[in-house]
Amino acid sequence: MKQEFYDTLSSPILWGVLLLAALLPFALSSYYLHIVTLALVYVALASSWNIVGGMAGQVSLAHSLFIGIGAMLSSALLLKLGINMWLGLVISAVISGVLGAMIAWIDFRFQLGHLSFVLITLAFAEMGAIVVEGWEFLGGASGMLLPKDTGDFLAFQFGGGSGSFWVMLTLAAVCVLVNVAILNAPLGFYLRTIRDNEKAAQAIGVNVLRYKITAMVISAVLASVVGTAYVRYLTFADPYLLISPVITIEIVLFATVGGLGRAYGPALGALLLVPLGEVLRGKLGSALPGLHYFIYGVVVIAVILATPRGLLPLFERQWERWRRS
Amino acid sequence: MAINRRTFGIGASGVLLGSIAAPFIGRAGAAGPTIRVGVVNSMSGGLAAYAQEGQPAFEYIIKKINAEGGIKSKGGAQIELVMADDTSQPARTAAEARRLITEEKVQLLTGTILSAQMLALTPVLDELKMPTLSVWAGGARSDYMFTLGYPYDRGYAQTINDFIVALRDEHKFKIKTAVMGYSNYEAGQQVNKFLTEKLKASGVEIIGEAALDIRAQDQTSAMVRIRSLKPDVVAGLVTPRDGILLHQARYNLNYHDSLFCGGTGGYTDLSLWKDLGPEVGKAVLTKNLFGMTGFSPGAKVDSMQKIIAELRDIAKLDRIGQGAIQYAQAARVLQQVLENAASLQSDDLLKAFRSVNIPFGDPNLYVAKPKGLQFAEDRLLKDGSAMFVQWTPEQDQQVVFPKEFAQVPPRPRA
Repeated sequence: MKQEFYDTLSSPILWGVLLLAALLPFALSSYYLHIVTLALVYVALASSWNIVGGMAGQVSLAHSLFIGIGAMLSSALLLKLGINMWLGLVISAVISGVLGAMIAWIDFRFQLGHLSFVLITLAFAEMGAIVVEGWEFLGGASGMLLPKDTGDFLAFQFGGGSGSFWVMLTLAAVCVLVNVAILNAPLGFYLRTIRDNEKAAQAIGVNVLRYKITAMVISAVLASVVGTAYVRYLTFADPYLLISPVITIEIVLFATVGGLGRAYGPALGALLLVPLGEVLRGKLGSALPGLHYFIYGVVVIAVILATPRGLLPLFERQWERWRRS
Repeated sequence: MAINRRTFGIGASGVLLGSIAAPFIGRAGAAGPTIRVGVVNSMSGGLAAYAQEGQPAFEYIIKKINAEGGIKSKGGAQIELVMADDTSQPARTAAEARRLITEEKVQLLTGTILSAQMLALTPVLDELKMPTLSVWAGGARSDYMFTLGYPYDRGYAQTINDFIVALRDEHKFKIKTAVMGYSNYEAGQQVNKFLTEKLKASGVEIIGEAALDIRAQDQTSAMVRIRSLKPDVVAGLVTPRDGILLHQARYNLNYHDSLFCGGTGGYTDLSLWKDLGPEVGKAVLTKNLFGMTGFSPGAKVDSMQKIIAELRDIAKLDRIGQGAIQYAQAARVLQQVLENAASLQSDDLLKAFRSVNIPFGDPNLYVAKPKGLQFAEDRLLKDGSAMFVQWTPEQDQQVVFPKEFAQVPPRPRA
């Protein structure tokens, strides 16, 4: 592990930002706290996806499957079999990790190209959605309503608003720090080598299968854990949200706009775009149906045109320019 | 002028800020006592058809109430609607409701709120204790929610079962076997569960299922399955889109050996003829098909006929279907709740919801309810029944069930 990681961990800026963020529930109204919590959910999800999609360059659309397993399976285990949601979280994460490893193995074994990998992962995601919507145990198309969140920590309840916010803040911080750790560890170098030229990486002795599986398993487990926490926050396990490929598209969008392959890029994208989308809908939703989508789309296109590599590199350049001057 | 990155940015910012500011412009002029009612509608997304048809009727009735003196028991308070769009996504229904309650300080909430949205909304309503009227949910899990939607059990399933039994026992149709043909989504699955039990209890043998994949581009495989099972009746809840595909497949396979009895949009939506075309429509919609609906222009209900004429001639609405009538009814229910509530506190509003009573024959009862409109203990409609209609080659509907509203007896099997 490079020194940079330990520097980040011991950075007063990091802890200062986290501390200030942790105080937000005392300053924000219920609605704005919800928006920030939602943004943190997407920070965590986009950061977990970034390990595979950004660092290893494998555009996986299977992440809705992992999120869905974390959300729907843990809910079903609780409601149908009475299994504690903490245990459900672990079971779901293990299953997601195994599925992730399987997808990575298929990719390696059949030497899938970029497009084939995208389509295979999309197929996995769709299969997951069909299984959930058609299987009564997992709630079927109706979904499942979890018991009221009374704040019983041992029952995986965090008391709603503030408690859920702190859980999401912790998860988001963990996911971003895992990104920082990987980027500063040999795994990060191997993944970037694989992303830039897989054949060359293989030729110089990088164990491509091993690192692809490692990246996918870490990413899948994180996404699954966030999925479980997210459904606990929502209380309603909605299959059309939690295991829909649309959620993956959103994650990919946030990561791309923020800065692919960077530790903080996906987090930046989610922190900017989630509140923007929510506020636009709140302010414009009643003006003209779909207007908020249109404006959101225009903003995203403008950002991508202005800075194709993401907002983070742009901000870094501006910061450097400002420092020099 | 050349558009560069900077001018584009300035222009885009202007559009963005202007759009955000727009809803606030003009609010300054509001005066007098007002009651703020939050409306979370699905104005965009997959469920937009419900609200796009219903919202104009809802707004018309609210304007009319305001013009006639507002809520008289509250000093003539005017109802101010605060609108929001949940983009047909349940999680966003919850977020928008939270915004309306905490930021916009609404005193009552209403909106499309289908069943999945109702479930997502439940924790928010319980937390913020906001009395809410759903226009369409088939259930109400929060103590603070009442709904005008048809209950899955005693609404959809009971009505379809009762009609099939009436066809068999009163009109002597041969009905011994059934295939459950339903859209495979939340409401379709729920209704199917109850309907299967009821049909079995009524002595109808269920010989198979044909669940319609709501993402499918074609329902031929489902119709082939129905044809191979050859049931006396195919029953279930079908969405308009699935209905169009199913009827198209039936036309292509020229299959007329079963009766098709179901609800609601997939059998009775006025758009079916437009999408199928007159030739296909005539071949399948007018043969061995009966559809469940809460509204039909031909129903023998005076108050329903009057509101149709009013919405058409005075409000000048171009789409007056079940959605418009349901929303208009919601406006009248809210009016009664606000009039009868001792105060605008949550408990008093809930008490007023529980005592809502719009009897049959009342000019403000727009939906076909032979026992009038009241809420039961479970906060769903006491009378969840609906009507069955058959199509004529002229693309009109004739009510055939229940007897109170029927114009003609059911057409014999072709």
